[in-house]
Amino acid sequence: MSGTAITILIIGLGLIAWLSARARALRLAHAGRASPPSAPSPAPEARPRGPLLHSLPSYHGWYAAIWVAVPALLFLTVWTSLMPGLVTDRVLQDPAAATLPQDAFSRGAILSEGRAIAQGKAAAAFDPRSNAFVEPYREAQRFYSIGGGVIALLLAFAGGAYAFTRIRPDFRARTRVERLVMLGLLIASLIAIITTVGIVASLLWESIRFFSLVNPVDFLFGTKWSPQSAALGYGNENAFGAVPLFWGTIFIGAIIAMAVAIPLGLMSAIYLTQYARPAARKWLKPILEVLAGVPTVVYGYFAALTIAPAMRDFAVSIGISSASSESALAAGLVMGVMIIPFVSSMADDSISSVPQAMRDGSLAMGATTSETIRQVLLPAALPGVVGGVLLAVSRAIGETMIVVMAAGLAANLTLNPFASVTTVTTQIVQLLTGDQEFDSAKTLAAFALGLVLFIVTLLLNIVALQVVKRYREAYE
Amino acid sequence: MTSPPPDETLTRRIPTDWKGQAMQRRIAARYRAERRFRLIGLASILLSAGFLAFLLVSMLGNGLSGFTRTEIAVKFDFPRAPMVVDPAMLEGGNADQVLAGANLPVVTAQAANAALGEGGDALISSNAWLTVRDAIRDDPSILQREAVLSLPASADIDLAAKSQGTAQAEAAYARLKQGGHVSRAINMPFLTASDATDPTQVGIWGAFKGSLLTMLVTLLLSFPVGVLAALYLEEYAPRNRWTDMIEVSINNLAAVPSIIFGLLGLAVFLNMMHLPRSAPLVGGLTMALMTMPVIVIAGRNAIKAVPPSIRDAALGIGASPVQVVFHHVLPLALPGIMTGTIIGMARALGETAPLLMIGMRAFIASPPGGVTDPATVLPVQIFLWSDEISKGFVEKTSAAIIVLLLFLLGMNSIAIYLRNKFEKRW
Amino acid sequence: MTEQTTPSAPPKMAARHVNVFYGDKQAIRDVSIEIDNDHVIAFIGPSGCGKSTFLRTLNRMNDTVAGARVEGDITLDGENIYDPSMDVVQLRARVGMVFQKPNPFPKSIYDNIAYGPRIHGLANSKADLDVIVESALRRAGLWDEVKDRLKDSGTALSGGQQQRLCIGRAIAVEPEVILMDEPCSALDPIATAKIEELIHELRGRYAIAIVTHNMQQAARVSQRTAFFHLGTLVEYGVTSEIFTNPREDRTKDYITGRYG
Repeated sequence: MSGTAITILIIGLGLIAWLSARARALRLAHAGRASPPSAPSPAPEARPRGPLLHSLPSYHGWYAAIWVAVPALLFLTVWTSLMPGLVTDRVLQDPAAATLPQDAFSRGAILSEGRAIAQGKAAAAFDPRSNAFVEPYREAQRFYSIGGGVIALLLAFAGGAYAFTRIRPDFRARTRVERLVMLGLLIASLIAIITTVGIVASLLWESIRFFSLVNPVDFLFGTKWSPQSAALGYGNENAFGAVPLFWGTIFIGAIIAMAVAIPLGLMSAIYLTQYARPAARKWLKPILEVLAGVPTVVYGYFAALTIAPAMRDFAVSIGISSASSESALAAGLVMGVMIIPFVSSMADDSISSVPQAMRDGSLAMGATTSETIRQVLLPAALPGVVGGVLLAVSRAIGETMIVVMAAGLAANLTLNPFASVTTVTTQIVQLLTGDQEFDSAKTLAAFALGLVLFIVTLLLNIVALQVVKRYREAYE
Repeated sequence: MTSPPPDETLTRRIPTDWKGQAMQRRIAARYRAERRFRLIGLASILLSAGFLAFLLVSMLGNGLSGFTRTEIAVKFDFPRAPMVVDPAMLEGGNADQVLAGANLPVVTAQAANAALGEGGDALISSNAWLTVRDAIRDDPSILQREAVLSLPASADIDLAAKSQGTAQAEAAYARLKQGGHVSRAINMPFLTASDATDPTQVGIWGAFKGSLLTMLVTLLLSFPVGVLAALYLEEYAPRNRWTDMIEVSINNLAAVPSIIFGLLGLAVFLNMMHLPRSAPLVGGLTMALMTMPVIVIAGRNAIKAVPPSIRDAALGIGASPVQVVFHHVLPLALPGIMTGTIIGMARALGETAPLLMIGMRAFIASPPGGVTDPATVLPVQIFLWSDEISKGFVEKTSAAIIVLLLFLLGMNSIAIYLRNKFEKRW
Repeated sequence: MTEQTTPSAPPKMAARHVNVFYGDKQAIRDVSIEIDNDHVIAFIGPSGCGKSTFLRTLNRMNDTVAGARVEGDITLDGENIYDPSMDVVQLRARVGMVFQKPNPFPKSIYDNIAYGPRIHGLANSKADLDVIVESALRRAGLWDEVKDRLKDSGTALSGGQQQRLCIGRAIAVEPEVILMDEPCSALDPIATAKIEELIHELRGRYAIAIVTHNMQQAARVSQRTAFFHLGTLVEYGVTSEIFTNPREDRTKDYITGRYG
């Protein structure tokens, strides 16, 4: 019996429980009335003399259905996640297990091949020794899946029986159901916290392991980054100095990209809010938003295919022979374009929330529109704009695909925008793709970089949101 | 209260000479500055829009040719070909197996050499015999006669036909063209096949199906959880430290770089829970964690927009708080929630980095059958092809980007349509 | 009552047969009125009667509202202010405005006052500007309260001080006319008294028009009163006459509190 079939069966049972519990509640309601009303609603003119249902019949139905389905499905979920372990244990007790070789790798390979054949995922064994385990796997799987199915069904019936005995006119089914609904809502909203805790815990855990191999001071302040040499066995000293990565990230994300995005985004927002006619605004705003909707992999491809070669040719033509085809400038420019809509929409919000009275006051003094914008609106909107720029920076330094595709892998500490630099996100991708064992300093370094990235973006976001919040409050 | 001014000159009124020359010049200069400023604003927008246009045009320019392929007409003389196939065997459902053993690659190569001269077999795709196989399966009667079949050209010739080939291939293509052998046709396999090593044989269906499966998992997980969490936070949550923590978490999760979610997926789903690598299930789980905050935030805004008077009215006639929310608030807020969900899903559909972390960058030559099979997704496929050295991949990458952008455009259009149709001003 | 409402000298500002439209809606119908240097004129009337709209046509602030259209003549020293040759930037410098809610810029007190002179280039040097700022603050009756903290933000002042700052800001560019749109409606009685006193002091130097919904205030500060109702000018005359002996029933009803 497969998991899907039993799940559908349990849901079906739940439906039956819903229907029959509702029917039973309806009967109770009818029995309690002198004349059979069409609906058991407590309408004042039809107030019955007999016992009145506390809750609508459908709530009794839901109560029963929840009792049937929820415990059984919860059990199934747990069971499914435990089953592979149980199955393997049982297989290892099979006499055939004694013939397994000692070394863990071939042992695992043989076992997983046996399992694949048993599950029908593989047609024939590559290693003939695997064949011995096909039958034990099949048998163990059958044993546990039937066992799990039976227990789940028993749970469903027991839950249903319990719920049924409680259907009485004065039973507060609605209160019970609603309490469960509230519990569900609470759990759903707790997932956000669980995710955050999960991120922090996994990053911290792996980072601590990394820092047991590499001195944190070397990592944060070292200027030489060459994880390859560490992987080749030259030791972890002087291989994980992340300063060139931090610099590359700041250079591309916070300097070059912002040099593009801030002026263009800000001026676009000013034009849209202060000058454009409503009809033009209606067209231009979505066009800017499309820029934000283009997937980053497309920007990355565009940067690598079109912008980067153009930048290199340009650099060579002005006499910089060392120009790289993976220049910081190309990645930064394209990233800046990607960020324009963020800056522009944050600036738009901030400028629009400056009170109209402020603008009127300046215009009534005889200021032109541009004088009003530069001398009154922008200073007033500045905190909001700064908050928006901080959010944009946080977004830019966490951006991955553009730099993976257009920036290089060379960890240079350079101010030359035509040279190649590498970033934190590029290196995370670089370190984790490929087939290293998970415990090497090289893979763990990716988590340490991730932790730094997480902390920095988190701080930027908190500061930015605080700034924006203060600013909003100032004008409310 | 106001002390009398000590110095009368301070308060004497000095009339301003508005008509004076200096003042007129000054005003003219101010108006020039005004026009300049306005022009800079317009130029900024046009530059941004121009960049978008440049990007789209360059993708279209590079990619449209990826939807066509070059075909070479080759004459087959099947009765005399070195193959033995019993047409009766082809009747059942196993024509492909029968033909697989029928020496078709050799037959095809010989026919190409005969039709195009010595070395002709190098001009057609190495998989051209599959086209011959399909032709025989569809119409077994051609085995009794001569037939002219259009076979896909090799990658070199295809590139030469699109004026991007080597000098040698261009010359070969020119000869073929003179002989009247070549034609252009829609590249159907691009939409129905999966990844391959030869750029003329690649298709996006495998990656596309991977995307669909991943999005399905994402939607099934993030939509209910996101909506329920939004309802709880907006309608029931008491104001306390826990609620604050949840809110802070959600707001921060919405701004966490996507690659961090990839690290989470790698550490938790793969290394801790041992879920299958490269599977849409893991991709969907990771994306769901990323999409959920977006849905919660959009959902809360939509719920906030439902006026309190509706809640008061429902509570006033004796509905319980849960009934109020599920009977009145949720249906009214649903269009807004759907809009936010579609936008979140569109973002997830275009997302690449977290999926690289959980191993969805493998070479997958067949479409995944389920959510636990190894798969890749469209953006990752684009990334993988962009890394290929072979020149034929440029147009395929751009073509795949066109498909991806079309999908995103469609999803966003639906979201905008929903927003305009159901947007209510209360 | 044949009180002479038009002085013999040409008026500072005159409106003749003015109609104002917002899109298709007519907000002002055929209003003719004059504003002069030697008296304060008050515009009164129930909410939505068009008195603020009319005030805003006098320095073309309605230009900033999309869809607003003005017909008829409004002249300043005989020049039509809606003539294409009239420069709106200059016009607004000559016809200053004070708004309902105090709206100091988020700048220092000094910079608030110096804003107008700076953009119009009225000061040649820092010393000039200092003189202008001090003079404007004195005339606005604020100098003694703020002279030691000119660098503080204008938004840190109390509501009444903010409004006097706004009046000082308007005065600093040496306007010829000052329009006040319910300048006291957001203020407490003490601050209101100060503003009213200020208006008294400014009278004679500037032509002043003030919109108010407070009839006692109109009676206290103005010498002429115009009563608006539903976009038309119902009655216009010497303030004491209007309040003691209105010609029109509608004016009487409003003044005695039947509606409004």
